[in-house]
Amino acid sequence: MNASAFLVAAAAMTMSATVFAAGAHSGGHGGGSGEPGKASEVSRTINVEMHDNYYEPESIEVNPGETVRFVVVNKGNLVHEFNIGTPDMHEAHQEEMMMMVEHGVIQGGTLNHDMMEMDMGDGHSMKHDDPNSVLLEPGKSKEIVWKFSEQGNIEFACNVPGHYQAGMYGDVNFN
Amino acid sequence: MSRVRFMTLGLLSSLLLPTTVTAQEMMEDTTARKQALTTWGVQFEEFEYRYSDDDEELGVWNADIFYGTDELRFRWLTKGEYEIEEQAYDSLENQLVAQTPISKFFDAKAGVRFDTPEGPDRTYAVLGLTGLAPQWFEVDASLYVSDEGDTSAEFDAEYELLLTNHLILSAALDATVAFSEDREIGLGKGLSSTETGLRLSYDLIDRAFSPYVGVVHERKYGDTADLAKAEGGSTEDWFAVVGARIAF
Amino acid sequence: MKKSFLAGLAALLMPAFGLAGEYNLTVDRVQIDTGDFVKEGIGYNGESPGPVLRFKQGEEVTINVTNNLDEMTSIHWHGLILPYQQDGVPGISFPGIQPGETFTYRFPIQQAGTYWFHSHSGFQEPDGAYGAIVIEPEGREPFRYDREYVVQLTDKHPHSGDRIMRNLKMMPDYYNRQQQTVGEFFSDASEHGFMNTLKDRMAWGGMRMMKADVEDLQGFTALINGKGPDQNWTGIFEPGERIRLRFINSSAMTYFDIRIPGLNMTVVQADGNNVQPVNVDEFRIGVAETYDVIVRPRDEQAYTIFAESMGRSGFARATLAPEEGMEGVVPELREPARLTMADMAGMHGMDHGSMEMAESADMSGMDHSAMESKEQSDMAGMDHSSMAGMDHSGMMMSGNGASDPFYAEGSGIVPVAANGGKFLSYADLRAQNPLYEDREPTREIELKLTGNMERYTWSINGVKYEDADPIRLQYGERVRFKFVNETMMTHPMHLHGMWSILDVGADQWNPIKHTISVQPGTTVYMETEVDEPGQWAFHCHLSYHAAAGMFRKVIVEGGPDSTQAKTDAVAGNGGEA
Repeated sequence: MNASAFLVAAAAMTMSATVFAAGAHSGGHGGGSGEPGKASEVSRTINVEMHDNYYEPESIEVNPGETVRFVVVNKGNLVHEFNIGTPDMHEAHQEEMMMMVEHGVIQGGTLNHDMMEMDMGDGHSMKHDDPNSVLLEPGKSKEIVWKFSEQGNIEFACNVPGHYQAGMYGDVNFN
Repeated sequence: MSRVRFMTLGLLSSLLLPTTVTAQEMMEDTTARKQALTTWGVQFEEFEYRYSDDDEELGVWNADIFYGTDELRFRWLTKGEYEIEEQAYDSLENQLVAQTPISKFFDAKAGVRFDTPEGPDRTYAVLGLTGLAPQWFEVDASLYVSDEGDTSAEFDAEYELLLTNHLILSAALDATVAFSEDREIGLGKGLSSTETGLRLSYDLIDRAFSPYVGVVHERKYGDTADLAKAEGGSTEDWFAVVGARIAF
Repeated sequence: MKKSFLAGLAALLMPAFGLAGEYNLTVDRVQIDTGDFVKEGIGYNGESPGPVLRFKQGEEVTINVTNNLDEMTSIHWHGLILPYQQDGVPGISFPGIQPGETFTYRFPIQQAGTYWFHSHSGFQEPDGAYGAIVIEPEGREPFRYDREYVVQLTDKHPHSGDRIMRNLKMMPDYYNRQQQTVGEFFSDASEHGFMNTLKDRMAWGGMRMMKADVEDLQGFTALINGKGPDQNWTGIFEPGERIRLRFINSSAMTYFDIRIPGLNMTVVQADGNNVQPVNVDEFRIGVAETYDVIVRPRDEQAYTIFAESMGRSGFARATLAPEEGMEGVVPELREPARLTMADMAGMHGMDHGSMEMAESADMSGMDHSAMESKEQSDMAGMDHSSMAGMDHSGMMMSGNGASDPFYAEGSGIVPVAANGGKFLSYADLRAQNPLYEDREPTREIELKLTGNMERYTWSINGVKYEDADPIRLQYGERVRFKFVNETMMTHPMHLHGMWSILDVGADQWNPIKHTISVQPGTTVYMETEVDEPGQWAFHCHLSYHAAAGMFRKVIVEGGPDSTQAKTDAVAGNGGEA
């Protein structure tokens, strides 16, 4: 890590440890949207493409309690997120993502991995390793196995600042 | 018609020179935009009724009409004092000058001045400087040589104090100095006269019509004062004035 | 290589697959009612603003423009990439449209986004001759929204353009009613001390410059979509919907600071080109610029679109509401901004000696930390070196403490959000999808923006258009333009025909614009891929600055005029004639 990155990181630690500590993460991953699923219970696979700045598809249908494998690929030029949650969870998460941009973790089309690993204090980091989401650089692909809850107002969304507001979200409709 | 020609030219040039856009200008800009912007304006700095401390009533104007470009303006500067009771011009002065910038804030001007009041007339050659001095003083200095061979100079300064953006107190000073005596028109050598005015105006319609009230003090000095006294005139007058600044 | 151009070319080569649309516009004398006054003006199809022209990317448009005026007219398609003969600038693109004549424009639509059109003849544009252009992309929009509205601003003045120009030439402060008064002197004196205030006034008076020269032209009624504040243009929404607002500043002279109290705005497009979304509370729109924002009003209430002029001499107001007739709270205008000595930093031949003033320590309140935390340490686009010789220590800077790399450090006109939140800066703009590969510019051209407020003369490199030779560019080069603003006013510089890639220090992500605001006392760089042959206008988009001479013709020499497109366009017109 170079000196300037260290300085920024140090500043980030002093300024934002409290914000991170108070983030939605402490409320438990997924909250009302479901929980991490077991690979053995996967009933089907849904491919999700992330573009600048929208998803394909923009809505999916699931059965209550169903476990789905999402294969998420970033086909855009910018970093994008695929995050399953309620609108409130997304809103809370957007503050954290804003912090990641301000601290240079997300820079347009690249992620600063060094910075993501850094210990922010209180056991928090900017790793972005929650099971209900993936954060991908352009061209990258990852999988999520997710067991949906019974019902609820759930969206998948990209919480990179501005992306959700610009329309990078999709609806989860329960059958 | 011109459009057809233009299109034809365009077509021709694209046939004759299929591979390059020519280095010459494809079209000469002959629109007004490419010409020097010509503008005009009329400003009556003073257009007023004066009532003096010895019951003299005057109608007075001082106006500037210009036409021209940034580089060359023609100005007609006209001012006069009309004695209402006697139905006669105390003074009547018209200048026609050409004016051109010589520095960022100053212009040089040259032209002729015709004085045609009640009494003897004079014609002068005029050379002057006009512009904006530091601290927002509008100044104007002119040198006159009369057809009688007499030389004189006039200096004007004006300052506007913004009480509000519409209520404006303006102070004006006008001083005349003669370098030789012209007894016929009552002008003595040296500092001959000053006129000082203080006017409080209100911009009623844009800056086009601004009524004002004010006071004006006129004074004659030295030989000029003596000449005036000999004629039975006054050497110092106070006036209450009411009028309007007009611009269009 | 430029993708959109390829698309346009493809559309030309395969006319069978291309769309074609024919549009008719008449140029008419119209009545304009602002709610404050009614005046005669110029409009299109009987109204001002004219209709919203809706095109589709890839479409071949034919636009018949009939001049019903008794004077020449023209229409310029602001921001559109097209053959130069179709650009609509009399004396540069074509001779203009005679009274009674119908001129037919034909060109392929190579791009998508929000643009506008206006007359480029005389002062017809300030007199009302403008309208909006909305171009739907070939593919999908990279955003989601349920409704969209054009929000077109203008500064409608009771005086005609000719009269305004004449008055400005007669008295440059004719329309400035925010000058410093005796009262302001005493209030400053009680705040900063009598001597400091006196010295401050003397320093400005010595330069014969006014701190209040933020807006040349006051006394307008600001309109949104032709409606004055009291007429309250209203856009309807259902709570929870996302609305795309296409802001277009068609003003002659006025910049606006726009906010919608209660709503966050996500800027998704600037000057027709998509940008990486930025959430803001407020943004400043320069003359001739466009910004598209997405908002999501969730509540069953009216929201006010409030657009204060940069100098705070007026405002435009409109409403977003669930139903017609609802009104939100209309905020008060904020205090007028004052220029500081920092804004004068670019003034040529300034006497810095006279500026060494007593300590007033107002600068200590300035906060630069916001800049340092951003990932823009290199700030390639900015150059404050011209300010090196300045001694800021002494002046009454009365800056508001805000900073923005595109304003002089300590500038008095740096915008701040009314709610204390995020105000959009040029530094936040990143291209969503760069049109061009990033490459080294082939050369740099310096353009000093010059003028003399007291004579109301405006020029480039000290030379007015009437005395200037054209700027010659070579087809295929990438030119870096360096704008050095040596005046105390903001100038929105607009290059016709080719994109202006604004250097915000983001290399290939630099945003692509058609109009670039250059703030007083700053240097701003933009780069242009010279990819369109022909000749083009390049000017300050403030109507009275352009008319006073801040204007150039650009000639693009050489090039495989090749481009089949050009030949086609000319041949097409020739055939029609």
